[in-house]
Amino acid sequence: MRKTFFAILAMLCAVAAFAQQKYTLNGYVRDASNGEELLGVTVYVKELKNGVISNSYGFYSLTLAPGTYTIRYSFIGYEAVEMQVVLDKDISQNISLEEESVELEEVVVTGKAPEEHVTSIQMSRNELNIDQVKKLPALFGEPDIIKTIQLLPGVISAGEGTSSFFVRGGSADQNLILIDEAPVYDPSHLFGLFSVFNADIIKDSELYKGGIPARFGGRLSSILDVRTRDGNNKEFEGEAGIGLLASNISLEGPIKQNESSYLISARRSYVDLFLRAADNDNLVYFYDINAKVNWRANNKNRFFLSLYSGRDDFSFGDDFGFDWGNRTATFRWNHLFNDKLFSNTSLIASNFDYGLESTSAADGFTWDSDLQEYSLKNDLNYYVNPRLELDFGYHFTYRRFAPGKIVPKEGSIFKETELQNEYALDHAFYLGAQHSISDKLTFVYGARLSIFQSVGKGDVYLYENDLDNVNPTRIDTLSFGRLEPIKTYVNFEPRLSMRYMLNPQSSVKLSYNRMVQNTHLISSGTVPLPFNTWAPSSYYLKPQLADQIAAGYFRNFKDNTYEVSVEAYYKKMDNVTDFADNAQLFFNTDLATEYRQGEATGYGLEVFVQKKKGALTGFASYTLSKAERTIDGVNLSRTFLANHDRRHSFNMLATYDYNDKWSFGGSFTYGTGKPTTVPSGTYQWGDGYIADVITERNGYRLPAFHRLDLSATLTPRKNKGKKYETSWVFALYNAYSRKNPFSLYTRVQQNDDGDIVGDGTSKEARMIYLFPLLPSVTYNIKF
Amino acid sequence: MKHISKYLFGLILVSFFACEQTVRLDTDPSEAKVVIEGLITTTEDLNYIKLTKSRDFYSGGLAEGISNAVVVVNDNAGGEVRYLHNPENLPELDGVYLPETPYAGVVGNTYTMSVTVDGESYTAQETLMPVTKIDSLTVIVNEDELADPDEEEHFFEVLFYAQEPQDRVDHYLFKFYSNDELIKDNEEDIYFAEDEFIGEAIDDLPIAGFYALDDLVRVEMYSITREAFIYYNDLFNIINNDGGMFSPPPANPRNNLSNGALGYFQVSAIEMDEIIITDPRED
Repeated sequence: MRKTFFAILAMLCAVAAFAQQKYTLNGYVRDASNGEELLGVTVYVKELKNGVISNSYGFYSLTLAPGTYTIRYSFIGYEAVEMQVVLDKDISQNISLEEESVELEEVVVTGKAPEEHVTSIQMSRNELNIDQVKKLPALFGEPDIIKTIQLLPGVISAGEGTSSFFVRGGSADQNLILIDEAPVYDPSHLFGLFSVFNADIIKDSELYKGGIPARFGGRLSSILDVRTRDGNNKEFEGEAGIGLLASNISLEGPIKQNESSYLISARRSYVDLFLRAADNDNLVYFYDINAKVNWRANNKNRFFLSLYSGRDDFSFGDDFGFDWGNRTATFRWNHLFNDKLFSNTSLIASNFDYGLESTSAADGFTWDSDLQEYSLKNDLNYYVNPRLELDFGYHFTYRRFAPGKIVPKEGSIFKETELQNEYALDHAFYLGAQHSISDKLTFVYGARLSIFQSVGKGDVYLYENDLDNVNPTRIDTLSFGRLEPIKTYVNFEPRLSMRYMLNPQSSVKLSYNRMVQNTHLISSGTVPLPFNTWAPSSYYLKPQLADQIAAGYFRNFKDNTYEVSVEAYYKKMDNVTDFADNAQLFFNTDLATEYRQGEATGYGLEVFVQKKKGALTGFASYTLSKAERTIDGVNLSRTFLANHDRRHSFNMLATYDYNDKWSFGGSFTYGTGKPTTVPSGTYQWGDGYIADVITERNGYRLPAFHRLDLSATLTPRKNKGKKYETSWVFALYNAYSRKNPFSLYTRVQQNDDGDIVGDGTSKEARMIYLFPLLPSVTYNIKF
Repeated sequence: MKHISKYLFGLILVSFFACEQTVRLDTDPSEAKVVIEGLITTTEDLNYIKLTKSRDFYSGGLAEGISNAVVVVNDNAGGEVRYLHNPENLPELDGVYLPETPYAGVVGNTYTMSVTVDGESYTAQETLMPVTKIDSLTVIVNEDELADPDEEEHFFEVLFYAQEPQDRVDHYLFKFYSNDELIKDNEEDIYFAEDEFIGEAIDDLPIAGFYALDDLVRVEMYSITREAFIYYNDLFNIINNDGGMFSPPPANPRNNLSNGALGYFQVSAIEMDEIIITDPRED
């Protein structure tokens, strides 16, 4: 593998050496109305039938032989701009694109160039258009991108009302969820009912399921890259929404016109206010605050500061409470070293913590757990020529894991106890090249080198048998000083993507990627909880590895109105982290004896049809897939279906603009029932306990899941003289009130009042169904 | 802390419109397994070994006992005791084996049980651990129950006091009785503890249940081994499992029995204390 890497390097150098006298055209592409940078704009050179795409910061650069060129800037939903450029020197040219006028009565979904679906080298990627997400029916009227992500091909939801998702056979902790490049460790509010992403501030979100570019790493299965808006730098703007469960407000505007802007957005739920009004002393609330400042010092230097803080708080009377939350901060500096070399330097901090508190007299305690991550990232784009673009960089991350600390209350039976902290250093170097071999054939190749170190200060216990979780017997302790390496894991992650244009409307794409994951979620349930902790690869936990190959056919129809793709993938994962049967993961000082790592596979076929233009837009996706795990010491070491195995999954969503007052949205989802573990018998033991006999993990399937959601958005005509615009979103969640299975458990037979029936020796199986038909109304105002 | 997962589960279910229904499981029945419930204590008349079999999920009534087994317990001091099936032929003791000569367990001894059923042999070994002394029990009025009692007149709560020895590792099992009737807050509750995170002073710790005036309340505290603690923990988890959504996938409890038998062979020292409920407000 390493040889290939150097061969590629050598090839790149050769390409650079052949370069002759050339000039560079570069700049930023922006939205004319608010100055937001547009990412993914196609900058096309007609004479060369070739072009580039603006990067994640809206920057593009083209290096061409001297001459006169026709340059076309195109982006879906915006009027394309075409201009003649006489390239006899280096030219810096910022472009503003106007949104397509609304008189067309035509909605256009998602940015990017119209034909990008076919021409892009990247496969296995889905973008979400936030304007469309807002028009779709949402649970309690809260638009949520994660709920839309769960409808994409190759993506499985853990169950209704959860923010977890599973990509191509991977588990829920194998998704890297980024908000302005900062990782979010638990993206859930109210145990997953909503995600932490406030729809009002999202500019762009992309999900990478395969062919993952070299600049991303750290998780096996997917990257969800969410970027927030920069804030309008032309004029002040505000937006507010009032929903059943939560309200939000966003304000944005220029600090100095065309140069700097701010954006601040807040969202808070108010269930607690109702509860208080109803004299209920339970408390439940969550909030999110996003703040962003964006400053273009000059064309060469731009600065961003993006902050996020979100929290959930629950308390039950005076007895018991818990809370959790994420905080992230991203400081970015975009710098143009020269016309061809663009650099982004980010300083990132992310914090996740949770706390539990019991105030009862005898066993009162507080329990806190947190983890922090600090990163320095330097990403560079080097535009060698229109046929070759390089991106490379270095990421350094320091992580601190504090799994738990108990502080007893006065008079409590507990004593102060702290689990040992863990620390890790993570270095990653990457290099990727996008290389057009011909008009038809383009490669993206590259690699990432990850050097992960579990470091002190800390003690590692050696066990007589490190798989004995009943009587873990420590035979020795290895002590490590501050930052002293405990274990170092070096992994090489090759990445390769290829696209071949069959004709202007269709292409085939292939990709291979290896991913490495060095942070592990310590959870054995299906749905991660905010009370789960994370642990680094260390003395006992080995890095998780995934190799994935994917192949796909992409085709656009009717002038790029319809996009169709078919993709097949095969993913093999090693050292996926699992836990022994009956593992005790809560406050276990010998947690290492519960780890069980093994193999997992995921394979499947995905069909995706999307309509992006016209009054009716939307997509339909079908996935046929299988996900299995084989782990020594779990399920008697026999292969079992993963919790997220679904044989068939079909989803559809659509929005329809009836006229400029009314638009309608709908989504339908169908999935094979999820596997679950059920008893094959029961036995009586002790003081009236009736326990189940378990013979096989995930050997039973729940009934299929299907649901239809509908919504209607009313935007009353803007009255003359009024400076604001309002809209109403009416939604029906689970329109035909299907009783969808959430989970299945067993209990001793009881009647409806919870009293035991008979002599208490018979058991019954109970199915839990979550949401029946739920109507909701949301009121939005934009000023 | 055991209750955290219950809180979560309850929260999600109750607060958010969930409903649930009884459904029929159509799974293949597994073959019957031998279930062993063995207890040796420092109190002579509490020793027994009960043998039953597991059965189909949909079956009710008391489990049928195994009456044709050979049951022997040896200790590391060279003693051997044979157990006899239901010597007095009482219907409620079907499947229960009692020692031929009654004996009390001794702290520090290791006991080996061998059970032979239809030619298959099942064994277990367990050491009798010391138990901690109960200092005292006291009675208080629970204000919430006084205002709104679940059961008429039952608004007294019993508090428990002990000194937890910090120089050794202990695991405990508790049983509570009111007028000789076993008390649990919920049918699926098991009261067990380890001392890893517990300090020396155990004060004002409420026991399960609410009591009425003149009830005779008894607390039994059993010493158990770490293996037994894990067994009870696993048993608690499987009988309170939510089906693997938030809790781990259900699994059979780990135990000290060989040959795939279900259940546990427990060996315990017992500490006991009693109190008659009087109204503390009248002192």
